Amino acid sequence: MANLTRRPPKGKGVMRRNVRAAASGPRTEYLAFVLAGETYAAPVSLIREIVNPPPLTPVPRAPSVTMGIVSVRGQLVTVMDLRRRMRLQESGGTRRTRILLIESMSGELIGLYVDEVQQVYRLAETEIEHATAALGGDVAGYIAGIARPQGSVAFGDTVGGQAPVIILLDLHAILGS
Amino acid sequence: MAEASDRAREEFFSEAQEIIEGLGRDLLALDEALRANKIDPDLINDVFRAVHTLKGLAGLFGANRMATLSHELEELLDNLRLGRIEITASVLDVLFRSVELYGRILQNEKDGRDVPMPEVDDLLRTLHQGAAQVTPQSAVGQYELDPVLLSVLTEYEEHRLRTNIQSGLTLFRLRVQFQLATIDQALDDLKVNAKPFGEIITYLPTGAGADADSIELDILMASRAPLDELRRALIDTGAEVEEIPRRSPSPPGGALPSSVPSSSRSVPVPARGTDAGQILAPPSSVPAGKQRDLGSIRSVAQTVRVDIHKLDRLMNIVGELALVRSSLGDIVERLRATPSERENSSKLRELQRTFHRHLEQMQKGILEVRMVPLGQVFERLARVVRQISRDADKLVNLVITGAETEVDKLIVEELSDPLMHMIRNAIDHGTETRGEREAVGKPAVGTIALNAFQKGNHVVIEIQDDGRGIDADKLLDVAQRRGILTPEEARGMSYRDALTLIFLPGVTTKLDVSEISGRGVGMDVVKTNIGKLGGVIDVSSEPGIGTKMTVTLPITLAIISALLVRVADRFFAIPLANVQEAVALDEETVRKIDGRDMITLRSSTLQLCYLARLFGLDEEEELSARIAGLLGGARSAGGVRSGATGGRRLEGRQTLGLSGLGKRKYIVVAAVGAKRLGLVVSELIGQRDVVIKALGRSLASVRGFAGATELGENRIALVVDAPALISEILEGGDRARPAEPKGAPHG
Repeated sequence: MANLTRRPPKGKGVMRRNVRAAASGPRTEYLAFVLAGETYAAPVSLIREIVNPPPLTPVPRAPSVTMGIVSVRGQLVTVMDLRRRMRLQESGGTRRTRILLIESMSGELIGLYVDEVQQVYRLAETEIEHATAALGGDVAGYIAGIARPQGSVAFGDTVGGQAPVIILLDLHAILGS
Repeated sequence: MAEASDRAREEFFSEAQEIIEGLGRDLLALDEALRANKIDPDLINDVFRAVHTLKGLAGLFGANRMATLSHELEELLDNLRLGRIEITASVLDVLFRSVELYGRILQNEKDGRDVPMPEVDDLLRTLHQGAAQVTPQSAVGQYELDPVLLSVLTEYEEHRLRTNIQSGLTLFRLRVQFQLATIDQALDDLKVNAKPFGEIITYLPTGAGADADSIELDILMASRAPLDELRRALIDTGAEVEEIPRRSPSPPGGALPSSVPSSSRSVPVPARGTDAGQILAPPSSVPAGKQRDLGSIRSVAQTVRVDIHKLDRLMNIVGELALVRSSLGDIVERLRATPSERENSSKLRELQRTFHRHLEQMQKGILEVRMVPLGQVFERLARVVRQISRDADKLVNLVITGAETEVDKLIVEELSDPLMHMIRNAIDHGTETRGEREAVGKPAVGTIALNAFQKGNHVVIEIQDDGRGIDADKLLDVAQRRGILTPEEARGMSYRDALTLIFLPGVTTKLDVSEISGRGVGMDVVKTNIGKLGGVIDVSSEPGIGTKMTVTLPITLAIISALLVRVADRFFAIPLANVQEAVALDEETVRKIDGRDMITLRSSTLQLCYLARLFGLDEEEELSARIAGLLGGARSAGGVRSGATGGRRLEGRQTLGLSGLGKRKYIVVAAVGAKRLGLVVSELIGQRDVVIKALGRSLASVRGFAGATELGENRIALVVDAPALISEILEGGDRARPAEPKGAPHG
């Protein structure tokens, strides 16, 4: 259990280095992670915990996006492959692979398998483009918007200094399907 | 604050539930007493008190509907208690109905639903009308009138009856045969003849008649004239005249036949006596109530109500501790290997053993707490039997054995509906009408036996009727019409196999529209529900002799002994309760029959199911490759350094020793009821006590697994749902394959 990375609640600890407050209006915290080389993010408020993947037990005859089940401190968690859900290329686990624990609407604890967890962004509404229609395909429904943060980096490595493009996921849509 | 009041509400629900259950028991006793004609006044008092307590509770918690119902019932019961109205089967019906409604009201309250409940309003109206008739009935109650007759009186007739009695007239019953052709005229003649002596209040056919063309009527008449005079006057009509006897312990001042008007004025006396009775009642009933309350306070002190989910949580903690124990064991073993630590390690080992022992006791203790006697659900069934048999107008005697058999509380709760449906079927469709029974020389009263007993780790519940049995031909016929069977298949089917058709959706023996009771829930639903509890249901039937449904259930769902097996590269747990035996598989003996793998084991045929094949573990497809890769990581000491790419997959497979898959396999013979299936596995690991955890809701649609269990070090084994597999493979196989090409013509 010692190797489980526990996120402090509310992300206060993570937010040590403060943001150069620039834009107006309230900001929402997003956790950015990597899926098949691209940066995605989901609201921090929905993510209960980030864990190192415990041994995964596949469930035969389960839906294909289900990777299997894991035990997190005695609780069974169904793990979903976000890459598969987003029709992305899958690769094997690395030491950076993590599972994000999310509580679904029905109260079930779901794990989302991601290639790497990056950092927390505090995004203002102005930095988010909600036009998901621009992204075609059958995964459009899972995307809440696109964000281009103005260099407002909270912690972790900055990616070459340029403003990355972050795809914001609609976790409720993903878990609901 | 909110939490405290929530808890108080919880208390309210469980207390109310308990009282309602007690009420049901008292009513059953009362019903029995009524039939034996020995009514114990204490019983009525008990019922009254229960309703009174409910009223108080309901008032306290703002459960208005319950309070109103209790209030009205209290009135009725008070009248019963004070002898103002007679206790009859129809009064009992109302009481039974209110127990049922109490349950529903409570459920709605619990769910926080405020929905209209017309059935409650109906009952309230009935009760209200009943209350209005209290005084008149007290007068009518002097006579031994058939309750059937009383229940069919119109308001006017009742009013006339009342008035006549109050006027001091005597009641007579005239029994007359009429020819159907001339009944109108004859009845008029009779009325004319009777007029001078009194009044004809009502008439009812007796159901008897000399022949098809005649009808016999019972005529209720009030007359001033004495019996002899009336007889003489009506001699020409052929009427048999009888005076209706009065009840012997008539209310004080109750009119003797000869009484003068002044004594009939005493009829309202009981009504006035109400006040007196109420004044008198408290001294006698209140102390009694107090004593009872004290008694129950003592008993409460010894028992504690516990939310079953709290027990679940405890059970989970025990499961966690068991994992700690096994990790501890590993450390102890490692220490023992270090010579310098020998002393410490042996002490630690001692401690670990003690820990193990206490943990086992704790586990057992929690399991015991979860156990409740099946009698809880049987009592409710007894009420249902009474109701259904009255509705269906069939005489049924319910014989219960083994009510003390204990089962996990959760199972008991989930059992009540399936059992109710089976009992209902047994009465509605199994038991013949009285006439039919007598015609074939069976006793007029049908018997339904409800037997429960423990059998190893299982509890068996049998529902047996002595009715007409199941008509297998009808089942086959329906199954063919629904496209479930081809005519050839139907012809080849044994009686026993045909019976199991009853568990398929849409198959029923209720062929004719007129036979549909409108309430029967299909046996397929019953079967599904039993299956969810890890149980199985079996049917046997003999035409003309009766039908027996046998439900076999595990005693508890919380913890089970399981056989741990390896299939390909994974571990699975098979509940030991479902395991009959495990033998090595000799591939040479496997025969293919009709596309299925069969072997002969102990001179009977056993169908095999290769779990690896079923679970897609042998396939060289991308998915299983990925799985193998991941699992390789999973097994390499908790790391995640596994690869799923081609090259690493191979490596993973080799390290897992999958090359040895061609080796000898084993058959685990899973049995549920009389059905057996050989599950082919790669290796038998051993027996474990496991705590089953349910799979998440998103996996609810995945068939074949009852849950998962932890093996320690975060490793998980899926628990095979043997009953589901058995029915999927044996029955699903039966139907699915031949049905496919036909394309299920009737949907």
